[in-house]
Amino acid sequence: MDATIWLGSAFALFAIGLYCVTKRNMIRILLGVEMILNSGNLAFIYFAAQHAAIGVVDPVGQSIVFMSIITGGCVVAVGLALIVNAYKHFKTTDSRELRRLRW
Amino acid sequence: MVIPASMYFLFSPMLIVLTGLLAERTGQPKLRDVVAVIVSALGVVFAWTLYNALQAAPDKILVFSLGGGPPLGASFEIDMMGMFMAFSATILGFFATVYSYNYMEHDTRLTEYYTLLSALVVGMLGVAFAGDFFTLFIFWELMGIASYALVSFRKNLPGPIEAGFKYMIMGSVGSTVLFFGIALVYGITGTLNFAQVSTVIHGQPMNLWYYLIFALFVIGFGVKSAIVPMHTWLPDAHPEAPSPISAMLSGVLIETGLYALTRVLFILFEPSFFKLTIAVFAALTMTLGNMMALRQDDVKRMLAYSSIAQIGYMLIGVSTGLTYGLMGTLLHILNHSLMKGLAFLSIGSVVYATGTRDINKLQGVGKMMPFTTLAVIVSFLGLGGVPGTNGFISKFILFNAALGAGMLILAILGVLNSALSMVYYLRVIMVLLSGEAEEGMTAKEAPILMVGVTLVMAVLIIVLGLYPSPVVGIASSASEALIDNISKYIGVILS
Repeated sequence: MDATIWLGSAFALFAIGLYCVTKRNMIRILLGVEMILNSGNLAFIYFAAQHAAIGVVDPVGQSIVFMSIITGGCVVAVGLALIVNAYKHFKTTDSRELRRLRW
Repeated sequence: MVIPASMYFLFSPMLIVLTGLLAERTGQPKLRDVVAVIVSALGVVFAWTLYNALQAAPDKILVFSLGGGPPLGASFEIDMMGMFMAFSATILGFFATVYSYNYMEHDTRLTEYYTLLSALVVGMLGVAFAGDFFTLFIFWELMGIASYALVSFRKNLPGPIEAGFKYMIMGSVGSTVLFFGIALVYGITGTLNFAQVSTVIHGQPMNLWYYLIFALFVIGFGVKSAIVPMHTWLPDAHPEAPSPISAMLSGVLIETGLYALTRVLFILFEPSFFKLTIAVFAALTMTLGNMMALRQDDVKRMLAYSSIAQIGYMLIGVSTGLTYGLMGTLLHILNHSLMKGLAFLSIGSVVYATGTRDINKLQGVGKMMPFTTLAVIVSFLGLGGVPGTNGFISKFILFNAALGAGMLILAILGVLNSALSMVYYLRVIMVLLSGEAEEGMTAKEAPILMVGVTLVMAVLIIVLGLYPSPVVGIASSASEALIDNISKYIGVILS
């Protein structure tokens, strides 16, 4: 029952994130990426709690979640910088307008 | 085990930041460029020192753990296969940095540039030496973030921003999908260490979860290594990046993705499980890459599609699942890093001098830039697999391995594709050599440092083509390392 709730939420977040990535707004796409990352984080936290063989929650699962939050923050920083620059060039945050490079 | 001093090379981007800030303050910006070149040369020394340490090690494997032993600590596992990638990355990184000294001198923000370039190399080294999924993921992201920023480095132009955004989204979706896959592996095994994961998973009956993990890993690594359905970022990102960065991306970054995919697949699954899928991807990737390259007029975009095709050839070796095929893959990774690196650098010199990337406008440039054109010709013939260049050796081994594994169709497709690819390579060579230059087209030979780098690489390509046995020997032991060393690594970790 526990597994269904936690893993179910993780997969749901994953699906919502993938859905967001297909949208037009650049900021929404970036948030979609973060959601996929957080679905992984959620799964890790759940599994870490399951592997509590030594009486405490497994620290490996927790530490990789901390590191992934940090790298996720870096990716968002780069992404937002790119969005600001794209807005300067194209005067829009609609990703479909970025279609100069095709074929 | 004591961590050798050379491993501290992984902190080198910080050194470049500090010297860069100091150099800008004191008004000596060239100091930073020189330090960056020296640091990238130290990278080759680092790889060489580790290689010697590895040769001296009893089991031909070095394992270092940080923060306690596994499963808690993060670990580096250095073997011949990782060394092979490390040599490709550091050597091409050195050439790209030397080339940047002249190529980037009109750009600003060079402290950021050299730092990111160094971080890219360090990220690849980390991926090559990773001994667990934790280390792999951190360095994977380091490599990714550095490359997103470098692709869109010239942010005053719309092209790099668009290509960079596309690459950033696809790449980060790829790495987050990979992260989810790692979470599932962790859920099944309860550990992240490669050796422990391998002991738990091998021999288990395949169920739905394993298929899901396989799909997540193929998508996650496949985005970075531009396997065909996930390749669409590459033909945008490679032409828009500065030429040394195109060389790095095309020469080693996509191969690092392929390397990580190969390594993880062999850790998790038996070759019989993934052979057919990878073979289909190989056929798709090389055919589509070559077909699309045929219709390009932008020379850097053509090279980008050609990189996709070359990834397809490398996948042939993985799909055979034999040490001989893997040896071909590894050899092709090293050879491709030299050939495609040289192709992008020498074409970069042409673009630097003429200011255009359109193939049809490059007529008669060969007479104005003889040395650069020589380098272009050597690299393109190598990419096409002409005997006498190193590209021939590795392609021969790859197709031979496909025949040996009973994959006749794949071998035939490979040879046909290889022949087809000559069409667009020869077209560029013909345009460069023949015809008179257009009105107003002036180009003079690139600065001495750029010409020097390209000529040294051209000589390396021919030397490795005529005298391949040392490299083939190393590649052979590296491919054996992939299969044997899992058990050795398990022995070291679990003892």
